[in-house]
Amino acid sequence: MKLDRRTILGTSLAALTALSASFAMAEPGPWSDEPVRIVVTFPPGGTSDLVARLVAQYLDTEFGQKAVVDNRPGAAGTVAADFVSQQDPDGTTVLLANNAPFTIAPTRFKSIPYEPIDGFTHLAYIGASAPGLFVHPSSGITTLEEYVAFVETAPMTYGSSGVGSISHILGEAVDAAVGVESIHVPYQGSSPAIQDFRAGVLDSFYDMVVQNSDMIEDNEAVALAIASPERNPQLPDVPTFKEQGYDVVIENWVGLSGPAGIDPAMAAKINETVLAVFAIPEVRDRLTELGITHTAMSTEDYSTLVGELIEVWKPLIIAAGIAE
Amino acid sequence: MDILASFGQGLLVVLEPQNLMYCFIGVFLGTFIGVLPGIGSMAAIAMILPLTFYLDPTPAIIMIAAVFYGAEYGGSTAAILMNVPGTPAASITAIEGHALAKKGRAGVALFSTATASFGGGVFGMIVIAFLSPSLAKLALSFGPADYFAVILLGLVAASAVSNGGALKGIAMVVTGLMLGTIGIDLTTGDLRFTMGIPELRDGVHIVIVAMGLFGVTELIASIRTNLKGKSDVEVDFDDLYPSKEEWKSLPAPILRGSAIGSFFGALPGTGQTIAAAIAYAVEKRVSPWRKRFGTGVVPGVAVPEAANNAATQTAFIPTLTLGVPGSPPMAIVIGALMIYGITPGPRLLTEQPDMFWGLVASFLVGNIMLLVLNVPLIGMWVRLLKIPYKYMYPTIIVLICMGVYSLNNNVFDIWLTLVIGAAGYIMRLFRFEPAPLLLGFVLGPIMEEQLRRTMLLSRGDPMVFLERPISATLIAITVGILIFGLYSTQRKRRQTRAAQQNSTGR
Repeated sequence: MKLDRRTILGTSLAALTALSASFAMAEPGPWSDEPVRIVVTFPPGGTSDLVARLVAQYLDTEFGQKAVVDNRPGAAGTVAADFVSQQDPDGTTVLLANNAPFTIAPTRFKSIPYEPIDGFTHLAYIGASAPGLFVHPSSGITTLEEYVAFVETAPMTYGSSGVGSISHILGEAVDAAVGVESIHVPYQGSSPAIQDFRAGVLDSFYDMVVQNSDMIEDNEAVALAIASPERNPQLPDVPTFKEQGYDVVIENWVGLSGPAGIDPAMAAKINETVLAVFAIPEVRDRLTELGITHTAMSTEDYSTLVGELIEVWKPLIIAAGIAE
Repeated sequence: MDILASFGQGLLVVLEPQNLMYCFIGVFLGTFIGVLPGIGSMAAIAMILPLTFYLDPTPAIIMIAAVFYGAEYGGSTAAILMNVPGTPAASITAIEGHALAKKGRAGVALFSTATASFGGGVFGMIVIAFLSPSLAKLALSFGPADYFAVILLGLVAASAVSNGGALKGIAMVVTGLMLGTIGIDLTTGDLRFTMGIPELRDGVHIVIVAMGLFGVTELIASIRTNLKGKSDVEVDFDDLYPSKEEWKSLPAPILRGSAIGSFFGALPGTGQTIAAAIAYAVEKRVSPWRKRFGTGVVPGVAVPEAANNAATQTAFIPTLTLGVPGSPPMAIVIGALMIYGITPGPRLLTEQPDMFWGLVASFLVGNIMLLVLNVPLIGMWVRLLKIPYKYMYPTIIVLICMGVYSLNNNVFDIWLTLVIGAAGYIMRLFRFEPAPLLLGFVLGPIMEEQLRRTMLLSRGDPMVFLERPISATLIAITVGILIFGLYSTQRKRRQTRAAQQNSTGR
C-alpha cells in the first residue's frame, strides 16, 4: 500500500470518527444505558473481586449491560461503602456488598460515615461461603468432641486471617460456645497462616472450608466442623457446628447494594437480571469453585437479611473484643 | 539436572509471546526511567505498579522485574555522561565512567557498562537458580522467631554499612520503623498514630514513601545540581569498542564484581548501592590496573556495574523464598504478588513453579534484550538526556502524582507524597540516607508481626529466640555486625580527629 499524506489523514480521520461514535452511542441495557460501575471493597484478586468480575462479565455478554469493576479498598470496606452511598441512585453505581462494611463495621467502629440499612438500596443477594475449624493430623484429633476434650485440658493456638476477620470472629465464637480460651495468633490473610500451620507452628486454624478441600483430601489438615447452617454438598463428610450441639453459624455473604433511593421498579429489574446471571450453569460452577452457595432472594428479603445479620454479628464482634 | 529442566520449563513460559512482550516493555520503560537523571529503579517500579494490576500474575511479575533491572542498567548512562547518577548505585559507576567520558571515551565506557551489566545479570540469575530451591527447603521449617531474626539481621546490616555511618543509618532505620507503625495494629486491631485522619487507617502505602523519598526528593535535589542541565560530553560512536588490552581486562573484574554483588544482593537489607561500593573498593586493591583507578579505567566501570546488576537479580532470593524483601523495591514486588493472592515464601517454588522459573528465565531473556537495546541505541538514550529539564521534571512530577493517585483514588495520598518528598530533601541536606529509612518502613511491620506472633506462641517467653538454632545463629551474626559497625565508625572518627589535630599542631 502506498502511504501518502492523504491516505494517512483519511485513515486516521476514519478511525477517530469510529472511536468517538463508539463513545457517544450508549447501548441500551436492561436497566441503564450507561455502563454500571461495580465498586469492590477489596483490592483485585480476592473472592469479592472475582465475584464482581464474574457478574460484570456475564451482565455484558448475556444481557448487554456494560459493567466495570472499580476497586476501592481501605478502612475495612468503609471507604467503598461510603463512596457508593453518596452516588446518584440511578443504578449506575453499585457496591459488591459483604460482611466488612455492613455487618462488622457498624459494631466494630465508633462511627461510620454511612447508614448500613437506610443509606442503601439493597438490590440482590448472591450467596455465602462458610468457614470452619482445622487441626493438624499429627494431633490425632478427628472429631469436634475430641477437640473439646483436648482444649479443656490444654489450650491450643489458632491462626486467623487477621483481627476482626471472619475467621477470628468464628474462633472467638467457638471458644465462647465450648467455654475455653484459645490463643489467637492473627495473620494477614489466610495463606501465611496456613504456611505456619503446615510448618507445625500452629495447632489449629480457622478458614473457609471449601477453599481448603485440597488440604483435607491430602490429609494435611483435618476439618472438624463447618459454620454453615447445613453441610456443604461438596464436602458432605464435614459436619456442622450446629449438628454437633454448638450453636455457631457464621457465613461470609456477598450481594449487590446501591445508594438509597433507587426506584423500586429499577431495583426489581436489577434483582431479576442478577438472579438470571446466577441461573447460568457456568456462573454457578464458578461460584461453587469459590466455595459460595447461591440463594435467590427478593430485594425486600435481602434488605431484611442485612438488618438481621447486623444484630446476629453484634454480640460476636463484642465477644471478640474488637469493638472500638 | 533438576534445575536445568526447571529452567528450561521457565524458558518456555517466558518465550510465550505475551510474556515476551511484557518483558520487553519492562526493560524498555525501565531503561527509559533509569536514564533520566534523579529518578531510579524504586520510582520506576512504583510508577509501573498500578499498570500491572490488570495483568496475569506471571507477566506482571516479569514486567516489574524487568523495569527494576532495566532501570539499574539505564541508570549508568546518565552517570557516565553527566556525572548525574540515574540510580544511587550508579554513582559508583560515575567515578571511572565520567572520567572516561571526559577523556572523550564515553562510548567505550557505555559499552563496557552494558557488557558488565549483562555479565553480572546472568551471574546473578545462575546464583538464584542454584540457591533458591535449597534455601526454600530450609525455609519450610522457619518459624516466626527465625523470620524475626532474619529481618533483624537485614536491618542491622543495612544500617551498619550505610554510607553516612552506622549511627545515622540506625537513626534512619528507626524513623522507618516508626513510620511503619501508622495504621491498624495487626494483633489487636487498634488504630495507631492515625491522628484522626481516616486515610491513615490502613497505614502509609509503600509506593507513597518510595515516590516521596526517591522520586520527589531526587527531583528537588537534581534541579539544584543540574541547573546547567546539558550533557557536556559528546559521544563519539566510532570509538565504541574497548581496545584489545581493555577487552582482556574485563572478565576478571566482571566475575569478582558479580560474586560480591550476588552476596550482598541476597543478604536482606543490603542492596545494589552497597554491593557496587564494596566491589569497587575491593577492585581498587586487587586489580592490576589499581594505580590508574580514578583516572577513568575500563575495569573500574565494569566492576560496580557487574556487582550492581548481580545484586539486582539475587535480591529476589530472600524475597521469593522467605517472603522477606531483600531491598525496598522488592517490597513492591511482594505487594504486587499479594494482590494476586500469591504469598511469597518457601512454598512459592512448588506451588507456582511456572511463575518462579519463568521469572528466573526472564532475567536471561531480559538481559539479552537490554544488551540489544543498549549497545545500538545508546545514541537514542543520549539524546533523551538532552531534553530540557523544564519539560522533563514537570512531566515526571505529573507521572508521580498519577501513579500515587491511582493506588487508592485518593488526593490525600498525593499531598502525603509531596510532604514526604520535602522531608526527604531536608534529610538529604543533612546527609541522612533515605534507603535505610525505606527499609525500616518496609521490614518494620513484618518484623513486629513476627515478633508478636513469636511471643504469642511462646506464651511470652523471649528465650525462644536463643533456643531455636536458626534464630540463635542469625542473632549471633547480627550482634557481630553491630559491634563491628559501631567500632569502625568510632575508629574512623578517631582517625579524622587525630588527622585534624596533626594538621592544626603543625
